[in-house]
Amino acid sequence: MHNHHKAKEVPLKEGERVVLVGNPNVGKSAIFGLLTGSYVTVSNYPGTTVEITRGAAHLNKKRYQVIDTPGVNNLLPLSEDERVTRDILLSEDSHRIVQVIDSKNLRRGLLISLQLAEMELPFLLDLNMEDEARSRGITIDTDRLTQILGVGTVSTVATRRKGLDRLVGGLSQLRASSLRIDYGEPIESSLRQVVELLPQAYISRRALGLMLLAGDESLKGWLHQNLSAAAIEKIEAICLSLQEKFSHPLSYVITEIRLRWVDSILSQVVAAEKMERSSWGTTLGQWSTHPIWGIPFLLAILYLTYRFVGVFGAGTLVNFFEQTLFGRYVNPAAIRLVKAAIPLPFLQELLVGDYGLITMALTYAIAIVFPIVGTFFVIFGLMEDSGYLPRLAVMSNRVFKVMGLNGKAVLPMVLGLGCDTMAVLTTRILESNKERLIVILLLALGVPCSAQLGVILGMLGGVSLKATILWSFTVVAVIIAVGFLAARVLPGKGSDFILELPPLRLPQISNIVIKTAARIEWYLKEAVPLFALGTLFLFFLNWFGLLKAIEELASPVISGLLGLPTKATGAFIVGFLRRDYGAAGLYALAKQGQLDPIQVVVSLVTITLFVPCIANFFMIVKEKGLKVALAMAGFIFPFAILVGGMLNWLLRWMQVQL
Amino acid sequence: MSYELYELDELLEHIWTAREDGQVLLQEEILAPGGEEAAALEEGVRQGLLLLRERDLSVREAATPVPDGVPGFRVEGLMEVALSPEGERRARDIIRRHRLAELLFTEIFELDEAQVESGACNFEHLLSPKVIESVCTFLGHPRRCPHGKPIPPDECCNRFQVDIQPLVMRLCDLPLGEEGRIVFITPKHHARLDRLSALGLIPGSVIRLHQRQPSYVISIGETDMALDKEIAREIYVRKA
Repeated sequence: MHNHHKAKEVPLKEGERVVLVGNPNVGKSAIFGLLTGSYVTVSNYPGTTVEITRGAAHLNKKRYQVIDTPGVNNLLPLSEDERVTRDILLSEDSHRIVQVIDSKNLRRGLLISLQLAEMELPFLLDLNMEDEARSRGITIDTDRLTQILGVGTVSTVATRRKGLDRLVGGLSQLRASSLRIDYGEPIESSLRQVVELLPQAYISRRALGLMLLAGDESLKGWLHQNLSAAAIEKIEAICLSLQEKFSHPLSYVITEIRLRWVDSILSQVVAAEKMERSSWGTTLGQWSTHPIWGIPFLLAILYLTYRFVGVFGAGTLVNFFEQTLFGRYVNPAAIRLVKAAIPLPFLQELLVGDYGLITMALTYAIAIVFPIVGTFFVIFGLMEDSGYLPRLAVMSNRVFKVMGLNGKAVLPMVLGLGCDTMAVLTTRILESNKERLIVILLLALGVPCSAQLGVILGMLGGVSLKATILWSFTVVAVIIAVGFLAARVLPGKGSDFILELPPLRLPQISNIVIKTAARIEWYLKEAVPLFALGTLFLFFLNWFGLLKAIEELASPVISGLLGLPTKATGAFIVGFLRRDYGAAGLYALAKQGQLDPIQVVVSLVTITLFVPCIANFFMIVKEKGLKVALAMAGFIFPFAILVGGMLNWLLRWMQVQL
Repeated sequence: MSYELYELDELLEHIWTAREDGQVLLQEEILAPGGEEAAALEEGVRQGLLLLRERDLSVREAATPVPDGVPGFRVEGLMEVALSPEGERRARDIIRRHRLAELLFTEIFELDEAQVESGACNFEHLLSPKVIESVCTFLGHPRRCPHGKPIPPDECCNRFQVDIQPLVMRLCDLPLGEEGRIVFITPKHHARLDRLSALGLIPGSVIRLHQRQPSYVISIGETDMALDKEIAREIYVRKA
């Protein structure tokens, strides 16, 4: 048995791993960025990080691996992202821990510290956001805290790189805490019985025993690997008989005892001056969730987004890129160059023909989608970093309840406006499997990603406001209706709406720039190859004369049901790969004047309801398995066409003028 | 309690509620559904009223003709019943017990309507004054039952008027901007308790209520968080 009781120092060795753990939204990712120099998304809302991220750090002339983890409020996991973090601690190589704490919320941080102490893992406390604590009149006696816990403490302000050297210095002196909580009888005697049955593990048997007493279901797998069936049965019997002595569930009883200890530590180390909490952040925060003012606040943000992304990005910038840059310079030059350099008509067509890699794929990706995606990512970064997103959850909680979800689901849904594929990962912050399934379905069905949204807004802007409203209304209605039905059809239950609201903060320009750049880079790497693939596919279909055949084959659906010109078939074919690419194809058709207003709306509604892209499909496979992914795709494509067909029929029947 | 007294209490309760509803009539649905046994009931009511008078619980039955079209039945053509001071006190106590019990069952135990009603009907005959005073204090000296009818106040409520604040109230009833210390939490399922406690919400923690609409927003320490109303109803606080 490891004996860390005497708080001996554990120097960090070359090549070892440092795991960053802590509550959500305390700045773990910012610290990770500082230590490794590599960028991971940093935002101002809980749940930005849902996966572990590894990076290399060179500190004190030594090389370490640093691991960023999703935030947890308790090491008894309640959701998938929390479980990821707990499992890292249970695994072999992660014996060096830096616990990042939001200094103004020391109480919540210490609840985790006590559990790390119990695990007998060496760690260091990083009291981050020290500036915010100070401005709120909170001072922490770090010497006293070190004395009580027996581990080192450093203060940092990660976003301003303050205290980084102290943190690096502290890394060489990690210690296991000497603090032990006494849970009192009858817990202690049951705990002793359980501990005797447990094998050696990477964390202390006492900590494991407490997790088992707390009924941590997620440990079941570990138990069956490491213990005999007889021992498991015995443990279960001990847990049951202990539970009988308490009216509350043991998990709660244990957490409550820990919090009592935390409170007694707090009373010794924290001095809080009573300060009136009033700043621009608080006031704005109150407006943003106000039952009345919250709505104009939201509309104002939507309007600004529209001005910046829809008008500036999709209008001014796209015009410049497409008509001036590509239309006048890039494409004519490329065509001349290719025709001069390559005499083969096949290759000429492949590169600069109607379905050419340069004239179609690159033009769409760079000239149409890129300016829109770029401007959207800027706005999106501002929303993330200001802390507005969780407040949107407060405003929209009721709507999401209709769909068997709660306001928390607004986070993945809004992230989906950035990229549906990434948003699928973010569904891990939701607590129940049912909620995750519903959100993944709705993301795949109805939430247009930035690339597509921009193209769509650009197209609709060319028709009329009425068309824009009609499109939005149809898509939102479909989302709500499908969500409503899914909530009733899918088994399982929803979860509670309990969501932290971080303080509103002034976004840092540097972070917005880095984040936007990282996302644009990601977009280019992700989308451009797929655009090229789609174009190649179309090119060969066209080259072999198959496109005509497919257009004829699909014409009952495309022309008959949807009332679109057969040329739109190509757009829908590439829409299977990426729906923004499909939308871009429709955009080009509309610009050539081949679509009337009703056709624009119908085709856009249909393409919006397609599965976002092939990457999104694979992400669903990864998260939920092939069966679920196929079932969703099998529902979504016919359903999209059905809705489009109904809309077409309805609009023509009512003779709507758009 | 003898059957006779039990019946009398029921009768007093009906008289009280009928009066509250602005009716002087004892409607048939108050006593029993269906009109088939009207004659038998009529007889029962007449006897009950006589009994009330015998015991000095009612003083007078004034002659009031029953208007046409109003469901009810005549008791010797005399319908209005006025209670004696003793009858008044007794009826008030029954109503008070009944409605406090209803509130207790609805708000704390979250029983369904039918269970609340039958439970309250049994409770009203059983609770001792001391117990009912504790229930009343516990619920924060409420003024209205779940159906919105007034709960007659008693001495404990009048005492409470002096220092105004109820002892314990639900978080959702806490005035905006005020702080309360959590006294207990009655969650519907365990996961909720785990989630709340991980965020530091346990008995003893001090929280402040910021807004109710469109979702509840509270703060604990320096953390702001949003909650469903359903959860805010399950957290009981004492004003700090």
